[in-house]
Amino acid sequence: MSDRIFAVVWLAVCALIAVQMQQLEIPFSYEPVGPKAFPSLLAGLMALCCIYLLVKPDTDIQWPDASGIRKGLVLIAVLFGYAILFEQLGFPLATALMVVVVSRLFGGSWLNGLITGVLTGVLGYLFFDRLLQVTLPIGQLWR
Amino acid sequence: MEIMGFLGQGFLVALKPLNLLLALFGCFTGTVLGMLPGLGPINGVAILLPIAFALQLPPESALILLAAVYMGCEYGGRISSILLNVPGDAGAIMTTLDGNPMAKKGFAGVALSISAIASFSGSLIATIGITLFAPLLANWALSFGPAEYFVLVVFAISTLGGMLGGKPVKALLGCFIGLALATVGIDSGTGVYRLTFDNVHLSDGIQFIVLVIGLFAISEILIMLEHTHAGQVALKTSGRMLFNAKEFGQTFFTMLRSAIMGFGIGVLPGAGATVASAIAYTTEKRLNDKDGTFGKGDIRGVAAPEAANNASAGGSFIPMLTLGVPGSGTTAVMLGALTLYNITPGPLLFQQKPEIVWGLIASLFIANIILVIMNIPLIGLFTRIMAIPYSIMVPLIAAVSFVGVYGIHSGTFDLVLMVVLGVIGYILRKMDFPTAPIILGFVLAELMEQNLRRALAITNGDISILFESPISITLWILSALVLILPVALRFRARRQAKASPDPLNP
Repeated sequence: MSDRIFAVVWLAVCALIAVQMQQLEIPFSYEPVGPKAFPSLLAGLMALCCIYLLVKPDTDIQWPDASGIRKGLVLIAVLFGYAILFEQLGFPLATALMVVVVSRLFGGSWLNGLITGVLTGVLGYLFFDRLLQVTLPIGQLWR
Repeated sequence: MEIMGFLGQGFLVALKPLNLLLALFGCFTGTVLGMLPGLGPINGVAILLPIAFALQLPPESALILLAAVYMGCEYGGRISSILLNVPGDAGAIMTTLDGNPMAKKGFAGVALSISAIASFSGSLIATIGITLFAPLLANWALSFGPAEYFVLVVFAISTLGGMLGGKPVKALLGCFIGLALATVGIDSGTGVYRLTFDNVHLSDGIQFIVLVIGLFAISEILIMLEHTHAGQVALKTSGRMLFNAKEFGQTFFTMLRSAIMGFGIGVLPGAGATVASAIAYTTEKRLNDKDGTFGKGDIRGVAAPEAANNASAGGSFIPMLTLGVPGSGTTAVMLGALTLYNITPGPLLFQQKPEIVWGLIASLFIANIILVIMNIPLIGLFTRIMAIPYSIMVPLIAAVSFVGVYGIHSGTFDLVLMVVLGVIGYILRKMDFPTAPIILGFVLAELMEQNLRRALAITNGDISILFESPISITLWILSALVLILPVALRFRARRQAKASPDPLNP
């Protein structure tokens, strides 16, 4: 079932690529192939693979159970939040918050998560930004 | 003896204090990452690549660090295979079969030390192989024109489909997805924007690092969430720590055979350590399993896969360095690393940047020695690191991944895109798509498309140029063979199975 859903979704992507390539306006080309051919060829090849999956899907795909999916969604939300707040909150604070929640999700205690979080945020900032000169955001709060 | 001169120069590069330090750090980190279940060489190299780049290491130093991590992972995978019965990375799956039974019988120390020596001999033979064969292949590849290059990439993609186990269509589809992802952005031939959907951030295309970290760090974290087993109990490494002369003699030819076989498999584009160790193990079993000891703690069953997976890791450097076509997922990431430095791997690399090629080869020799020294006495330290729970390890991996991706463009968009690609990667992996083909496709796209366009520009659109030279024709035939042969063999096996029912599963 999963394979079939994926195949349908990806067929739509292939169609999108093909349409996009048809609409591409090329000012002037010195070569016979041009920029359209290769992506269109790939869309065709991917479509063939998708049709195979539609006809012969794998039946042994296992997804996590309801609680597993819930945990997975929380983790994805945390990662998105971390990505969006990375600059605004700054590395130390955003990282500390992320570590606390992720550590909890992986079965750590609140206290351990808090200690790991604060240490990672502060030491990570000093290590990467100050010592190794990899620029990291400090965040609006501390300015 | 031209080679010795080049190798000497390589050692001058590899022995610089910075490069030695990076090799040492890479070996240690690699062993740890290889040992942790779930994390393998491709994750290790993916996580460290952006850091190396953000630190503005010179290209040869970055490559030395990544190569040391790669080799370290092939060493580290065996530790958890033997002590936990959980393979530390995909190349170490076969090592569980005899490694863990040996440890249960109280020979954990012997299994660990003999597998360290097997890893050492595998890597050593592969590195000697690189030194001897890579320059020859590079010279030969100089005669490749655009048509030959295009067909070579077709061959690499076909081996992926043919070799990667039971899901050839998914491997191929993954590879096409990687190729398609790489076409996003400005087209270098005409300057038009392709598939950017008018998004400014996509006009440069999808950043290689963003894709790699998304696929191999973020999706890995999501996979790990399903395996939150609290504190696995590692078997004790009490008793004799070192193998004796008899055990060494028993395994000597096993290691030699497996290393040579692994090397050969590693050189093939697409087929990696997993295939090599499986073939080496089954070969040894067929040759030596007279008393039915394989699978019950036979020392040769530990030595064979370890020698093979290290040798194949070494062998996979050859097509990457000489042709610019990586032999494994991990070398695909390294190839992407080189392109970040505006260095195009391929036959010209040997002439234009000998310090990079030979510095890398020399550092493989050095890293191998560091690893075998590190892996025998320090085994106690490594087993203690293995006890670090996921609740500390995973957030650290997440933080380091974000730092690395933020380091390239200093923007939020890349971070969000990385998480999106990570979620897609997770879904694909749950559906049994192998991820290495995606990255292989991504790094090969430019080479493939540009050479196709260049070849057809020569003949003004006549595709017969793709089938003209003997090299192209041979590669076409080989591509067809690797795609068709497994299907044909499976078909035959199924017919035979129908004709004479399997005695084990009636």
